[in-house]
Amino acid sequence: MNLQTQSMPDERVLHLTRRHFFGRGATGIGLAALTSLCSQNVTAAHERVAAVLPHFAPKAKRVIYLFQSGGPSQMDLFDHKPQMDQYFDSELPDEVRMGQRITTMTSRQTRFPVAPSAFRFRRHGDSGASISELLPYTATVADELCFVKSMVTEAINHDPAITFFQTGTQLSGRPSIGSWFSYGLGSENANLPHFIAMTSQGTGLRSAQPLYDRLWGSGFLPTTHQGVKLRSSKDPVLYLNNPAGISPHVKRALLDDVAALNRKRLDVVGDPEIATRIAQYEMAFRMQTSIPELINFSDEPQHVIEMYGPEVHTRGSYASNCLLARRLSERGVRFVQLFHKGWDQHGNLPKAIRSQCKDTDQPSAALVKDLRQQGLLDETLVVWGGEFGRTTYCQGELSRKKYGRDHHPRCFTIWMAGGGIKPGISHGETDDFSYNVTSDPVQVHDLHATMLHLMGIDHRRLTYRFQGRNHRLTDVHGNVVQSLLG
Amino acid sequence: MRSIDFNPSSRTLTAPGVWCLLAALVYGTEKPDFNRDVRPILANHCLRCHGPDHRQRKTELRFDAPASLFDDRGGYRVINRKQPENSELLVRINSRDDDLRMPPRDSPSQPTSEEIDILRRWIVSGANWTAHWAFVPPQRPIVPVVRPVSEVENEIDSFIVSKLRQKDLHPSTQANRSTLIRRVTLALTGLPPTPDDVDAFLQDESPDAYERLVDRLLSSRAYGEHMAIGWLDAARYADSAGYQADWERFMWPWRDWVIQAFNDNMPFDQFTIEQLAGDMLPDATMSQQLATGFNRNHRINDEGGSLDAEFEVEYVVDRVDTTATVWLGLTAGCARCHDHKYDPLSQREFYQLYAYFNNVPEKGIDGRKGAARPFINVPNQHTERQLNELNAELDKLKSDGTDHTTRIRQIEEQSKLLRKNVTTPVMVMQEQAPREPAYLLKRGAYDHPDKSEVIPPALPKVFQSLTDATPGDRLQLAHWIVSPQNPLTARVIINRLWQHHFGSGLVKTSEDFGTRGEPASHPNLLDWLATEFVRTGWDIKAMHRRIVTSSTFRQVSTQTPAQRQRDPGNRLLSRGPRLRLTGAAIRDQAMAISGLMTPVIGGPPVKPYQPEGLWKELSFGTGKTTIDFYVQDHGQNLYRRSVYTFWKRTVAPPRMAVFDGGSRAMCRVRSESTNTPLQALTLQNDVTFVEASRHLAERMLKAGASNSSKGLELGWRLAMTRRPSPDELNVLELALNRNIRIFRANPEQADQLLSNGESQVNHELDPPVHAAWTIVALSILNLDETITRE
Repeated sequence: MNLQTQSMPDERVLHLTRRHFFGRGATGIGLAALTSLCSQNVTAAHERVAAVLPHFAPKAKRVIYLFQSGGPSQMDLFDHKPQMDQYFDSELPDEVRMGQRITTMTSRQTRFPVAPSAFRFRRHGDSGASISELLPYTATVADELCFVKSMVTEAINHDPAITFFQTGTQLSGRPSIGSWFSYGLGSENANLPHFIAMTSQGTGLRSAQPLYDRLWGSGFLPTTHQGVKLRSSKDPVLYLNNPAGISPHVKRALLDDVAALNRKRLDVVGDPEIATRIAQYEMAFRMQTSIPELINFSDEPQHVIEMYGPEVHTRGSYASNCLLARRLSERGVRFVQLFHKGWDQHGNLPKAIRSQCKDTDQPSAALVKDLRQQGLLDETLVVWGGEFGRTTYCQGELSRKKYGRDHHPRCFTIWMAGGGIKPGISHGETDDFSYNVTSDPVQVHDLHATMLHLMGIDHRRLTYRFQGRNHRLTDVHGNVVQSLLG
Repeated sequence: MRSIDFNPSSRTLTAPGVWCLLAALVYGTEKPDFNRDVRPILANHCLRCHGPDHRQRKTELRFDAPASLFDDRGGYRVINRKQPENSELLVRINSRDDDLRMPPRDSPSQPTSEEIDILRRWIVSGANWTAHWAFVPPQRPIVPVVRPVSEVENEIDSFIVSKLRQKDLHPSTQANRSTLIRRVTLALTGLPPTPDDVDAFLQDESPDAYERLVDRLLSSRAYGEHMAIGWLDAARYADSAGYQADWERFMWPWRDWVIQAFNDNMPFDQFTIEQLAGDMLPDATMSQQLATGFNRNHRINDEGGSLDAEFEVEYVVDRVDTTATVWLGLTAGCARCHDHKYDPLSQREFYQLYAYFNNVPEKGIDGRKGAARPFINVPNQHTERQLNELNAELDKLKSDGTDHTTRIRQIEEQSKLLRKNVTTPVMVMQEQAPREPAYLLKRGAYDHPDKSEVIPPALPKVFQSLTDATPGDRLQLAHWIVSPQNPLTARVIINRLWQHHFGSGLVKTSEDFGTRGEPASHPNLLDWLATEFVRTGWDIKAMHRRIVTSSTFRQVSTQTPAQRQRDPGNRLLSRGPRLRLTGAAIRDQAMAISGLMTPVIGGPPVKPYQPEGLWKELSFGTGKTTIDFYVQDHGQNLYRRSVYTFWKRTVAPPRMAVFDGGSRAMCRVRSESTNTPLQALTLQNDVTFVEASRHLAERMLKAGASNSSKGLELGWRLAMTRRPSPDELNVLELALNRNIRIFRANPEQADQLLSNGESQVNHELDPPVHAAWTIVALSILNLDETITRE
């Protein structure tokens, strides 16, 4: 493609901006539109917010959230409970269960026998983090990680629980966490969306519970803030590629014609929305270059590629998405979120979790290492975790090597790394059965408040007026968990 | 937060001192209007702690009720009408002493100095207090007299122009006829006018040409299809359940009921009663029962392991929320967990409303078979029609004496298959006996009912004072909603009709008429329209007609920087509306002007083009449900209007989603209009628009066989109605010639371009030429003006 013709439209758009903005007086064009023309896709609402954001100096500039969909089993991965061994196949004591609601998948069971983990644990790194044999790669970055073993959620079924993590409420319709960051902080890159979501299918289960596009939706925030899904298909962003038979050359000329005609119309009707549309067409054109560049790993050194494991070459795999996450983050995308399906291991957990860990262990650890090596970890907050944990009691048949686990909201483990997080610590404790939190519980709203805090945002002050009320991600809850901060 | 009462003993600053300071800052002199100017300030800064929510209230002092504000509180008054400067409110709000100051320094909302000045002027001018306007029934206002009368087409204009005059502004001139016919046709039908329509209108010199055009559009079938979309958004209509596995459901006969009701111009009171309680009408017809599908359109959960009790509550809450938003413009959902913080709706009153909607024989976890209980089997008209046709053919074949064994066998097999689909299970409302008791749910939680008291169905107190008897059941509630004793419905509905035509309602927050909603830009016009709506027998078409025949609607939509400065956002309507089309209208327009559109009304949803894998990526992906995978339709179903596109809730149709189409997860009565690069990509690259361009090109090519500018002009007129300027035509001419050269040199690219889409390629055309015209047509579909109602 001819570079000169490519850069020309930008020049013209800028010229247009100047002409409209200065030539026609300060009210010639809306501020939001002007911002768009200066190649920042920001809405007027964001403009108001941006004026006061960040509220204080941020520790992190970007977030990569590795969402483990389905509910990873905390006591088979991180929350080591050697004491459970002696209770094998004995009834979970009532004083532990305390009348806890259980799902209707196991509520008809006559017994609730304790199922100790079939996996060995070892301590790793200077921090001595206790990590299961299922996660040998994660173990190598133990000293970078901050484990929260006392996560608590309110929901016990997937849909409400994942919705709660994503939006701060179990009911759908609210903006997702990434869209709040987009609304609050905008983007650092004019050629890419602010918030990108990617999904991958785990190999642990043949039929993994579904996801929903509202999980990265913008709820009542303007659509501009919704997550853009990066897909593994031929069109990584919907309708990114030119249709068959339209060469880049023909397309560029078409866009020039459209822009020329739009400018003529702008002169006649004076609506600044037309100027914005001209600019958005140019950004779309730039995305057609920036996204293929992004998904092409040929510029990565071999040792980096290898770090992520063999699956990195399979588009749409968790490994490939992890490397993409680093590349997106490096280019300034504010919020990148991966959703990896398949952690919902109700039956034969030991077999299923092995494959699931094989999918995720090496790439997750590689991402942390890679960010560290590129000097990006300190400004990138990485979060790994699912929507709830799993029960200590067995679902279905129980043996030492075979058991299943149901959903468990009362305690589970997540880890965080980078951007302002205190590395090499473990926060919170659970009882001998990994059933209840015994100290320092962290609610979902607390996690959200802490993530926002790290990005320089007071979670009580990032609000959006909808239906007569100022809404926020943390609703009326949430406390920043100070002891997680570095 | 601290709880300091207004206790004068702790005062350290004398009031007159503050007063002098304050008096020096003169911001304005106009007497503030209580509802417009003052109430929002009190709502924003005071009601959180001094409002209707009794649990949040720090003292008995309330800023939503006048008594405690004006009473003597032992030597002082919060608002002192006789000695305004001694009003405790002003003392506290201006105090520099952190122990005295209100709102407290750590409160998230702090009044601006301008707001403080409004409060000062309000108190000085007598602190006039009136009830929140929306809770007082509308009185028919006097229509202002405006001169010259030439500026006034009907009553709407009198209100608009008189307000413009007050602000020293003038209405814009009337738009020319081609702009007007495109604007009104898109507004009423969601489709553009055809060139024949345009020519007829341009040549019609009779004085009522425009009015007759409007009448023709209102009686077109496309009107009902277009109006239905807004109602489907409000009714959270979709073709799938919406939770987890997202099973297919069959609510489309209800969608067809809505289209039919709009086209029949069913009076809005009947439209309301049938949808809210048609099942309870005496001898309810199938159609009246079907109408109640409205309140079963909510999402229904099927997730293994979930509890019935939990989701039964969610569905009832959704019905209360939706009904309150759609008809009353109230954010009732706020009172599910606690008393409403700003509006007169207590938590108990929320459960009084809840009690109208909870007596349905339903299960929380249901819906895997397409319809959750209760449902009715609705005869499928399309299948019936096909069966009738086959039967007729059969009779004919049998009676004509010759041997048609093969065909007869075919027909019999086909009929057998069709008979299996002769009815569709559609979810509806029903009542059960004995009645399901309603309880207040503590903190709104399904497992915390307060069983000490059964809550009977009843209206909130704010409405009871206006009503003779509180409605006792859902049917009576429906009657009350459209009764003159309800101050809200007519205003709320007419406001949304206004929003449909002008982009913003007279009350911009069309979902919220409460104290935190935005006050009406033209309160008298709103009330005049609301009373007129009722007076004409809730005639929706008449109201549309009234609005689009106003000279306000007919103004040009061009704007100057000066206009924008003086009337930002066009709230005063000093110019006509200029609005981007919805995703549905953008696609439908492309179908229409390319000649591809299949003009069939109603029936099961269709699956037009959609990028591969979108459903599979997020679903179980194993075929567990009938809609784990997207099985695209072929043939005519690819070109049906967008209202018939299959709406899977967990993966919204991408073309709608990218143009702010929402998610259909919950009730929505207002949407943003964004302008994004993803929209640009969709319009340029989606096969839908490329195929439409190919067909539009064919039409243009035929018209331009001897003279290309004729063809280019036709394409332009099909999309934008007006004729192109010589300048504009020149851009197209150059583009056409350039592309002919390119495709002649690259004939394989021409073939590829023409292969987009499943419709037949016209092989009589020279491929490079056809391809070049296709590119020009695609440019036309991508113009801002094409996707905008000017």
